[in-house]
Order: sequence, then structure tokens, then C-alpha cells
Amino acid sequence: MELRVVDRTDNELRIEIAGENHTFMNVLKGSLLRTDGVAAATYDVNPEQSGGQTEPILSINTEAGVRPLDALEEAARGVSDQMGSLGAEIEAAFAAEP
Amino acid sequence: MTDQFDVSFVTREERSARLLIRGLTPATANGVRRAMIADVPTFSIDTVRFVENSSVMFDEMVGLRLGLVPLTTPLEDYEVGDTVTLALQKTGPGVAYSGDLETADDRVQPADDDIPIIELKEGQRLEFEADAVLDTGKEHAKHQGGVAVGYRHLQRVRVVGDRQEFDDPEPQIVRGVIETEDGDVVHTDEFDNDLRNRYPGKEVAVEDVPGAFVFHVESDGSLSVEELFVRAVDSLRDRADELAEAVAI
Repeated sequence: MELRVVDRTDNELRIEIAGENHTFMNVLKGSLLRTDGVAAATYDVNPEQSGGQTEPILSINTEAGVRPLDALEEAARGVSDQMGSLGAEIEAAFAAEP
Repeated sequence: MTDQFDVSFVTREERSARLLIRGLTPATANGVRRAMIADVPTFSIDTVRFVENSSVMFDEMVGLRLGLVPLTTPLEDYEVGDTVTLALQKTGPGVAYSGDLETADDRVQPADDDIPIIELKEGQRLEFEADAVLDTGKEHAKHQGGVAVGYRHLQRVRVVGDRQEFDDPEPQIVRGVIETEDGDVVHTDEFDNDLRNRYPGKEVAVEDVPGAFVFHVESDGSLSVEELFVRAVDSLRDRADELAEAVAI
């Protein structure tokens, strides 16, 4: 996962997340939209053989007083926590089933 | 949506399962599905060194068939890119089966022993050594551990009244898994997908249950359904951790 900041202001961030695709980006976007202080979040990714920009670019707009990078970190930790508890629940369900 | 998940089985077989998960967002459900297909690595034969091939097929054609043989994968001891050597010697007449493959590591062997590779006639012989490599479905579809992975919304069925005697007799087909008013979770196969069989003479309403997804996962035998699920969820968690780590700096 290589990160490259394309554009950054106080409340806006455009960042390229190399090596990822819809699998992770959509989960991350979903988490960002549920994060406090995030006004808008989306990502754009082009097909592999389209040439040009094929790595996903994540765009975040935040409300005043919230740094977009902080929001991104919080959202990523949110995904991590969620996946941690989901994994534990699934393991428990399989363990309970003979 | 909260982080409260509820996981339960609808059906469970050796190589497939139907799992009801509540508390998921559509994005997460799709992330897990995609990760199961493309991001959980399995072993598959990738390079073949032929010693002798006097069968009716070219080396490349035999090689392609070998790649499609699912191999059991002990993920705890191998990393993506690792290889295991397999070999096969067979003289005709007879069929060379996947079960004839000899392996350097007993834990990496064909998931099924009865996959035909090629039929050898009198005097024909196949002998080769092959390297199986651990990689993901993203790299090549032969590395996919899940062969049929998908989900549907759980559907709630409510009885809203009695069907009139002369109401239209058309079937009410639903597919997937329904939740009844008593909280029972029933697969629609049990009543031939027609709600009229389950609720004779009743008028029913069907709606999706928000956040409840029924995953149907079928493995090709290289990994258990549990491993497939857990590894997919872990791969998403690892990526989130990596991103959080990278952003924090």
C-alpha cells in the first residue's frame, strides 16, 4: 500500500492509495461516511487497461476544525475494529457448530 | 451502523455453508465477498517441467489442466510466493488422475483424487515435475479458494391477511432465506420457493431485513469455509491497519 497525496488543504484531501481496488476502498469509504466531521467522501478508480490513472484516488472533505488525515486514520481504525469483531464472531459461530 | 454482529448458520456442509450475518453494511458485505474470491491465496500448479509427454496433448494443454486442480493449502506455514513441488509418473493404458500426483509436502495435495488429467493409450507416457505456487485469485482465477461465493438479503415475511377465494392463483416465488414472524430462519428450498406452500390461503408481504446478509460460500476444497471467511476478514483488517499506520506518521 503506497500512499501519495495529490491535493491537500485544511479541509480537503485527495490521496492515491496504490495497490488497492474496490474491495477495500468501498469498505473504507463506507466507514469514512460514518465518521464524525466528514462532510463528503468518495473514491474514483479506473479500469486496469484504460491507461492513465488506474490506482484509486480517495477524496475527503471535512467540516471546519477536523483534519482530513485524522478522519482517515479514524475511519481506518474503525474498519480494523469492525473486522476484528466480525472475525471473532465468525470463528465463534464455526466453533459452536460441530 | 453498530459494530454488533450476529453470526449464525442456516446450512452447513463439508465444503459449503450458508451463514447469516446481521449488522453488516452493504459495503462491508461486498468487501468480504470480494476478499474471499480474490484475496485469500491458495496453492496451484504454475510451472511444469516435462520429462516425457507422449500423450495426445501438448505440454501446455496438460499444464493448463494441472493448474486447475485444487490443492489443499496450509496457510499458517506458507506465504504468498512460496512453492511446493509435485510430480507424476504414469504409463498407459490408463487415465492419469489428480490422485496420482506425488507431493513433497503431504499437507499440499489434490483436494480431490478423481480429477482426470488425461487418458493415456498403450505405450503413451506422462512424467513431469511441477511447482505449485501460493498466490491469490487476483493474480489468476486458478488460485481462487471460493468457487461460489455470494450473498442475498435476508427477507422478512409477514402475514398481512387472508387470501380471498377468487384472488389470482399465481405463485409467489422467493429465493434465498426468509425470516418468519416467529423469528425462524428458513431456506426457501424447503417450501419449493413458493410462499403459497408455506402460507396457504394467506396474503403475505416480503421485505428485505436491513443489515442482514445470508452468505452462501462454497469452497473448492483447498481451504475450509471457515478459513476462507476468517482469512478474508483478516485481509481487510490488515489493510485497514496498514493504512491507519501509514496515515498516522
